[in-house]
Amino acid sequence: MVLVASTTVAEVLLALKIAFLVLLYLFVLRVIRSAGRERRAPSQDSMILTPAAAAAAGLGPGSPRRKAVRLVVQRSPSLDEGGEFPLNSAPKTLGRGGQNDLVLSGDEFASARHARIEMRGDGPWVQDLDSTNGTYVNGARVVGAQRLGAGDVLRVGETDLVVEED
Amino acid sequence: MARVTVPLADPYLLPMAALLTAIGVTEIYRLGPAGNAFRQGLWIVIGVGVFAATLFSLHSDYRALERYKYVFGVTALVLLFLPRLPVIGEPINGARLWIHVGSLQFQPGELGKIALIVFLAAYLRERREVLAQGRLKDWGPLLVIWGAAMLLLFVTNDLGSALLYYGIFLAMLYVATARISFVAAALGLFLVGSFAVAQGTPHVRERVTNWLSPWSTHPVFCPQNGQMMLRQNCQSYQEVQSLYSLGHGGFGGTGLGHGIFTGTTGKQVIPDLNTDFIYSALAQELGLIGVSALLLLYMAFVLRGFRIALAATDGFSKLLAAGLSFGFAFQTFVIVGGITRVIPLTGITLPFVSYGGSSVVANFLLVAGLMLISHRANRQEAGA
Repeated sequence: MVLVASTTVAEVLLALKIAFLVLLYLFVLRVIRSAGRERRAPSQDSMILTPAAAAAAGLGPGSPRRKAVRLVVQRSPSLDEGGEFPLNSAPKTLGRGGQNDLVLSGDEFASARHARIEMRGDGPWVQDLDSTNGTYVNGARVVGAQRLGAGDVLRVGETDLVVEED
Repeated sequence: MARVTVPLADPYLLPMAALLTAIGVTEIYRLGPAGNAFRQGLWIVIGVGVFAATLFSLHSDYRALERYKYVFGVTALVLLFLPRLPVIGEPINGARLWIHVGSLQFQPGELGKIALIVFLAAYLRERREVLAQGRLKDWGPLLVIWGAAMLLLFVTNDLGSALLYYGIFLAMLYVATARISFVAAALGLFLVGSFAVAQGTPHVRERVTNWLSPWSTHPVFCPQNGQMMLRQNCQSYQEVQSLYSLGHGGFGGTGLGHGIFTGTTGKQVIPDLNTDFIYSALAQELGLIGVSALLLLYMAFVLRGFRIALAATDGFSKLLAAGLSFGFAFQTFVIVGGITRVIPLTGITLPFVSYGGSSVVANFLLVAGLMLISHRANRQEAGA
């Protein structure tokens, strides 16, 4: 009788042990399965914010997943309307002078070095380079640096450029 | 509490922490004496209190911490230095890690770890561009604080923490600068440094010997009692008994409560069984299957931590989450690797499971940090 009782206890303990292990694994399984079913991919933005810093750190150009952004000429005394100017990770300068990346030679209201556009981790940013007549985004004057979104109209001198993304 | 303050935080961290804590308390209760489990329970209550207080006070914007980075840097040093003070510090097992206030014992190095991670995250966030260029003068404050931490740790004979701090420092430097050459250089430095330390410090040399050859076939000098003894009966006694414990557990384990931890005299065979060596107790009672589940839990926790780091939108949060997750992972690796003879054994607690108040409180702080970061990242995702 004692023998029977002790085997029963041992069996119950064995069953409990297995139950414990099964529960432990079910918990792990549950966590790992839900972790794999994440509703979105993690953000791939580079931690290094500016392309210049990324180049200095030896990281090369930004993430290939970044959207292609370009400026489209809407109104200009010198450039063709509808002309496209692509932006990449290198900073671009705009102005009347020939050393700029986008030369606005016929625009009398643009300064020699007027504004700079650079791609940061979150998109294009425009910075006014102490121009005489200022840089405007959607009619508002840019102070310091400002983020550009798709559809924004950038005015430099008498030139209007539309930001397009795809 | 968590639902109110950080409703969008990662939902898996807290259940995992709770399960690990529960396993820990169960094993501590089983190993006895009964007072230990009660004290551990008390510390868990304090830990949860600290957890709630952290969430409550920082849930609006924890990034304010970034402004106080030097406060955290100095706090980390002070916490490391406290056990060296004559009145409240007291050496236990040859290492000065503890402070005593009344009847309370506390191991401030555990909290120092969190403070150091916060400091490193804030500092590296600010300086990572210049650090990546490798100009020497920008490294000043970083090297000073890190060097001081390392020196203090060697002075206090706490090799496990020294290894942990060095690993955290390296990992966060890598996350911040993305320069693998730094990691290679620092690993080289570590190898040279550890070789030199192993030659110079008998404490360290002993650990390496115990790791490479825990059993000796002929008697060797035993520093504890000055006699000639087999190494497994003297220096490597703890390791060897722990290995026997792992072996006795086998594949399926003996079952909770059926492990053998006391000798014929009724004395516990493995010293520090409920703190540093709790993994070998669990391995005996739960077996390979059981501790594999335990390790999977740790991996899942770390996985969640790194996902939070990836999802975080600003540099400080990324670095903080990566640092906290890496610290947690590396601490688990150092102690489990030590017990299973993958690396030389250095005494350190197993997060959430080991007996010890400071460890419990520090780990709940760590979870609070990760939850705050994930809440912020998810809220921005939802708002965008």
